[in-house]
Amino acid sequence: MPVIEVEDVTRRYRSRTGTFRRRATVVEALRGVSFTVERGELFGLLGPNGAGKTTMIKILTTLLLPTSGSARVLGFDVRREARRIRGRVGYVFGGDRGLYDRLSALDNLRYFADLYRVAPRDRRARIDSLLELVELKGRERERVETYSRGMKQRLHIARGLLHDPELLFLDEPTIGLDPLGARELRETIAALHDAGKTILLTTHYMYEADALCERIAVIANGSFVATGTPLDLKAVVGDNTIVEIETFGIRDETIERLRKIPGVKGVGVETRDQAQVLLVQSAVGADVVRALLNELADAVTGKVVTREPTLEDAYVELVRSA
Amino acid sequence: MIPAILTGVRLHMKQASRNPFDLSGVIVWPILYASIAYYLLDAKNDPRLLLSASLGAAVMLMWSLVVIASSGALEQQRWQGTLELVVAAPTPLTAVIGPICIAGALVGAYAIGATLTWGALLFDVPVKVEQPLAFAIAIPACALAVGMLGLIMAATFVLYRASFHLGIATQYPVWIVSGLLVPISFLPDFVRPLSWVLAPTWGFRAIQEAALGGTPWPDIGMCLVLSLVYLAIGGSCLVAFEYVARARGSLRLT
Repeated sequence: MPVIEVEDVTRRYRSRTGTFRRRATVVEALRGVSFTVERGELFGLLGPNGAGKTTMIKILTTLLLPTSGSARVLGFDVRREARRIRGRVGYVFGGDRGLYDRLSALDNLRYFADLYRVAPRDRRARIDSLLELVELKGRERERVETYSRGMKQRLHIARGLLHDPELLFLDEPTIGLDPLGARELRETIAALHDAGKTILLTTHYMYEADALCERIAVIANGSFVATGTPLDLKAVVGDNTIVEIETFGIRDETIERLRKIPGVKGVGVETRDQAQVLLVQSAVGADVVRALLNELADAVTGKVVTREPTLEDAYVELVRSA
Repeated sequence: MIPAILTGVRLHMKQASRNPFDLSGVIVWPILYASIAYYLLDAKNDPRLLLSASLGAAVMLMWSLVVIASSGALEQQRWQGTLELVVAAPTPLTAVIGPICIAGALVGAYAIGATLTWGALLFDVPVKVEQPLAFAIAIPACALAVGMLGLIMAATFVLYRASFHLGIATQYPVWIVSGLLVPISFLPDFVRPLSWVLAPTWGFRAIQEAALGGTPWPDIGMCLVLSLVYLAIGGSCLVAFEYVARARGSLRLT
């Protein structure tokens, strides 16, 4: 039986604007989403900001009700059996928030251990082992407000694991971490997965999803646009070659001209530091580099790289065509 | 659930003690309230009236601290992102928010002592308690009842962002209706039923009767009865409001 079963879930947010003439606006964050996650799986949810990833996680962690459709977690209905779900799942989100900053890490963990009904006789040992796991042993009596972002994020992970949940929701856990901190956290996530935990992970970082997830769903505008293994998703652009061209100050009309070059299937633009990097998809074997550079003759160009498509290319293609 | 409540009370008090704003308030406010008691009634020549006014001012401060603790702490939890996490825990929300209100009331109980001490030191308010045992029981009974009244208010804080301001706005009406500023007998008849359902009315009467010599036990009993009633109402409101907050998606709004 799947650990997560989501069927045709929609979620709408209503808000009112105006002081005297109150006008209601409705935002549809999820539009008929369906998917399942099997026990022991590490499932990734990818999508741009506002696509509905966090809304989906909040429904599954019982913080939000679906407007319509059904969702079951570990066999329990999120609408009617919220309390039975809460004791069995862990929820960790990224960023600085979600901790009592003026208290020590130890106080934070003690409090959440009580809230998650960890037996008092097991509490001390459990907290000690988690502090070891997230490498905060020796720093646990310091106030959380003195912690670095990476330390806070590791403390979040420890908090989410206090009650040894069967299922762990990780909502952009590596956001804002330095590369080393993010790598260490990915290793922790991989170790938890190896230990048999079912994990639902949302992230913006494609290499993270590619490295960790067994299956991935891409969500855009509240709908799933693709689901499959990283290899399945890469196959979306598998018959393409990617040409990366570093440019500076390129205009929209130039990009439009690039799109019309025979053999070019799509052009995307990414900003990296001062540069704009053109990501041009072309059919395998089509020599488009010369034609591209001819069109860019008047522009300042830098490095040109031809490479195989990555998960990120597939993601960009899927989201753009959604 | 009991460990969560006890740990919650301890940690919320610890957290408040590490906030310079809260700390300065707890030190400075009793002096202000002792001054209010002394100058408001101009009862320099009536020691019993002076003590009664000091006790009224002390319970006023207790109510203010509970309102600020319950509304402020929830506002802070929403702001620091812990509100969602405590709602996502299997422990009922009453056992999460109740300790915040109780912590506020315990600080309020301390404030009663501080107000009376400052009154005695600065204005020669006579602190002579006729029934010490009843007085010692009346203060925690009052704190419990006032804290549980704070729980009902806190339930609305789960739902609305603006509840902090609403909570602050209830300070003066409750002071007046509970007879803390002026005796209830001065108020219009139609206000009296409202006085009877407010914990500060009975808490103040219990402390006053114990200090001045009277029959504090029925008032202490009323504090305990009201505490149970408030707990039932506050707990039910929290269950209902949590459901509404999940439907609206208002838990994380900052």
